[in-house]
Amino acid sequence: MENIPESSSKGTKRRRDEDSDGGNSSSLEDDLIFTDTLVALRIMRAQFPPIHKGSVEPFILKSQLYSSVKDRTQVDRELESLRRDKVLRLFKLNTGQDDHAIMFLDDYLNQIDHVVKRMEGKKGGECEVFGWFKIHVLDSKLETGIEHQELCSLLSLGGKVKDSHISLLINAGILTRQLIDPNKYWFAIPNIGSLLKGLVQGRKEVISLLSRRRYNEMMMASLEKKRLRMSSLDMRFHLRDLIGSGYLRTDQTPTGLIIRVSKD
Amino acid sequence: MHRHRHVWKQMRDREAGKVRPHSFANRIKSNRISQLQLSNHKDIVSPHKGAINSLQIDSTEGRYLLSAASDASVAVYDVQRPTAISKHTSLFVLDKHHHQGHKYAVSSAIWYPIDTGLFVTGSYDHHINVWDTNTTQVVVNFKMPGKVHRTAMSNLSTSHMLIAAGTEDVQVRLCDIASGAFAHTLSGHRDGVMTVEWSNSSEWVLVTGGCDGAIRFWDIRRAGCFLVLDQSRTQLGRRPPVLKRSMITKDSSTKLRAAQKKHAIGSGSRQLPIGRVPSKGPMKQRLHPGMLSTQDRATAHYGAVTGLKATGDGMYLLSAGSDSRLRLWDVQSGCDTLVNFETVRLQTNKPLQFATTQDATLVFVPCMRSVKAFDMWSGNMNSILRGHYECVNSCWFNQQDQELYTGGNDRQILVWSPARSIADEMDEGPAEDQDNWSS
Repeated sequence: MENIPESSSKGTKRRRDEDSDGGNSSSLEDDLIFTDTLVALRIMRAQFPPIHKGSVEPFILKSQLYSSVKDRTQVDRELESLRRDKVLRLFKLNTGQDDHAIMFLDDYLNQIDHVVKRMEGKKGGECEVFGWFKIHVLDSKLETGIEHQELCSLLSLGGKVKDSHISLLINAGILTRQLIDPNKYWFAIPNIGSLLKGLVQGRKEVISLLSRRRYNEMMMASLEKKRLRMSSLDMRFHLRDLIGSGYLRTDQTPTGLIIRVSKD
Repeated sequence: MHRHRHVWKQMRDREAGKVRPHSFANRIKSNRISQLQLSNHKDIVSPHKGAINSLQIDSTEGRYLLSAASDASVAVYDVQRPTAISKHTSLFVLDKHHHQGHKYAVSSAIWYPIDTGLFVTGSYDHHINVWDTNTTQVVVNFKMPGKVHRTAMSNLSTSHMLIAAGTEDVQVRLCDIASGAFAHTLSGHRDGVMTVEWSNSSEWVLVTGGCDGAIRFWDIRRAGCFLVLDQSRTQLGRRPPVLKRSMITKDSSTKLRAAQKKHAIGSGSRQLPIGRVPSKGPMKQRLHPGMLSTQDRATAHYGAVTGLKATGDGMYLLSAGSDSRLRLWDVQSGCDTLVNFETVRLQTNKPLQFATTQDATLVFVPCMRSVKAFDMWSGNMNSILRGHYECVNSCWFNQQDQELYTGGNDRQILVWSPARSIADEMDEGPAEDQDNWSS
């Protein structure tokens, strides 16, 4: 049973949108604004660049949502209610000030399974902690971070917890230590380290692409055809992210959308 | 012309009783506020040679503007009467040459809430001075353990004269003007305290924001703080829905967390479940129930809290952090109302001072070089006020005249007022007709 929250009554419209979207063939100009957060999330998930051939599940950045739905407060509130309904999870990324990644819960569980499969070959033994994690921790702790004590008590609902179990979780990339507080962990998406590096470098590359131009602007249609050298994520992904975080802005002109580097 | 006819019609409606006088006045005021722009009839000449850190207009008359700058100078201006034609120069300046003046940057200057006879300045030279305005002499002096970031006095207090001081030390100190000594200290923050604000609903409640990202509410009559704002506790709207209240604010983790005091302001009964300290974890020493709040490490921002402002009725609190986000908190429930203000970047190294209109519909936030006016409940940006050449540090809104004063790193104090057309200036008199050649 799919977890569709009752707030989105636009069921038929969503399916129609998904069918008409032919993947990469539609330009970003047509697809920039959506009406509903869940619609935007599903479409952006479908448009996630198919790199690594299925070893990385699609995720969406919160800044991409801000550029896609006009009312930011509505985005925040809908995300919050979707999170509470356990449709998706939020993760704090270490790539910037307020970067968050959104992943549908099913995708996240699949991602964990990929990681577990890879680790099972190496260590054998203590992989039951991943099962405990999925069943007990993910189900009850919906926030982006967790305290050490709470983690231990939730995991112990599955069995006897040892320190090596926690190190296994950290090695797998599912938990990372918080720098400000040694007793707290962030939940993390495993195996996306190279993508995050590509994200940071791709952002810089797009901004420098535009800053080198005389008036710091370019037509959207020509910009989205360019390929990025530093990032394996496609241009559309970066553009949504940069427009949403405010580094770039779009304006309507008689010849189409134009993208500028925003001053201040 | 159309505008005037519209106003005359509204006045006749008010006379006839069709429009209530209060809503008539509010309509005119909000109309004026929506048209704020760089003032073409008022100019403040700032004598400062350093960045302006704080601005405040006194609450009794709404007439005197007090500014504090990084070159250790403090100045007072009369914003209602110009000293020269449409120029307001300072009435007096207290700078390094004054024998009791501060030695380093003055970070905060506030008026004594009761009248303009005294004002309080806090500076990076670790001192807080209380000055007599008429004689410009220091009356009381307090030495702090670190640089003073903010000082605040309660507008509502009838029984105490305490100055709350936020410094780079982790403890918030309360200084008493009446006795000239320290009253007590509030501990709980784990890093310096950048902003302090007294509550607008109770003379005993103080809100502080620290560099550790926590916002704490203190009742100064008791030990410890009674509320720590946590950004993971959220509610979807202005007020929590009545029926589902218990489901929204609690989650399963509160059952497992160590005993904490998280209930709303003013609850006299101590609902501390002391027996809930889990026996599995490391043994925690028995602390005074009020001090258990020091173990609450919830953060309100991913970074330092750089600015706080409560709405006039004391029910909501705005906070700005160095994660460049502005959050609106419901004080009663302690939850984030999830209003998203589109602030791309905020200054992170200095405390910010932002302003709200009295009916809490607009909030003016300094965003780097411009000041953005946001609608409080939807987070939409109404207008951008651009005029400063460098980062803006503080804004103050004068409700009486609907004017906004902003000060920044470019040493300027700019006045933003509703546009005034030439036909409205009836009180300028013959002076306007003269030019440089007239005698």
